[in-house]
Amino acid sequence: MLRKLTLSLLLMIGSGATVLAHHGWGSYDASKPITVTGSIEASKYENPHATITVKTTDKVWTVTLAPVSRMQGRGASPELVAVGKTVSAYGYSSNVEKDEMRAERITIDGKTIEMR
Amino acid sequence: MLPEAPQILIALEQSGLAAAIRQSTWAYPLANVSHIMALTLFAGAVATMDARLLGAFAAAPPADVVRPARRVAMLGLLLMAVSGSVLFAAEASHVAMNPVFQIKAALIALGILNALLIGRALGAVLDDAPAFQPLPARIRLAAALSLTIWISVAACGRLIAYF
Repeated sequence: MLRKLTLSLLLMIGSGATVLAHHGWGSYDASKPITVTGSIEASKYENPHATITVKTTDKVWTVTLAPVSRMQGRGASPELVAVGKTVSAYGYSSNVEKDEMRAERITIDGKTIEMR
Repeated sequence: MLPEAPQILIALEQSGLAAAIRQSTWAYPLANVSHIMALTLFAGAVATMDARLLGAFAAAPPADVVRPARRVAMLGLLLMAVSGSVLFAAEASHVAMNPVFQIKAALIALGILNALLIGRALGAVLDDAPAFQPLPARIRLAAALSLTIWISVAACGRLIAYF
C-alpha cells in the first residue's frame, strides 16, 4: 500500500514536469526579442508583477513588468507607467499566453528602466 | 483572472482583501519570505521527527524527540498556511488552475493524513518505546513516506512559478 502510494506520487511529480510553463522567464521566447511600442491603455501597479496593456498599430499586448518594489527602486513609478503614456518595451513574447510579453527593459519619457 | 477557475476563487481574487495584497508594496514579498521561513521551521521539525522514527538519534527515547518536534511542526504548518493563504488569495484563480499547485495541494492532504495515521499508530507505543530499539516497521515506513511527501510538497511549491 505504502509502496504503491510512493510510486503514484513519483508518477504524479514526473507527469507534472512535462506540463507547459505559465510563469517565469522559462515560458518566454528569449531567442526572438521583440520591441512593443504603443500607448498604455491599462496599468496594474500590483504584485507579484506590474502589468501594462499596450496598444500598438496592429494589436493589444499585455506586457509583464517587474515586482512593485523593484519598479519603485528603479524609478518606474505608477506615474511613469500611467495610462496614456507612450512606452517602448523590449522583451520576449510568451510561448503560452497569446499577445503577452515580458519586458527586459522599458523606455518611457526618454527613461530606460531595466526590469530584470 | 482565469475564467475557467471555480467562481468562488475568482471572487476571492477579485475581493478587496486580495487587491490590497497585490497593491501593497510589501504584503506579497513579506508573505513570500514568511512562507519560506515557516518552511524551514516545518521541514526541520518534520525531518527531526521522521529521522527519530526511522532510527536516528537512537540514544534518545522516541517520545523525547517526537513530541516536541511534532509541536514545532504543527506551528510551522500553521504559519505556512497563514502566509500561503496570502500568496494564494492574490492570484487565486491562476494558482488554483496551476497543475503543480494541484499536485501540491493533494500532497499536503496526503502528508497530513499520513501524519495523523502515524500519530494514531504511535499513540499505543510511543510512551513505552525505549531508546536503541527500532520502532515497528509500518511506523518507519510511514516516516519515510512522510519525508518523501513533504520534500515533494516543497519542490512543488517552488515549481508553481515555472508551470
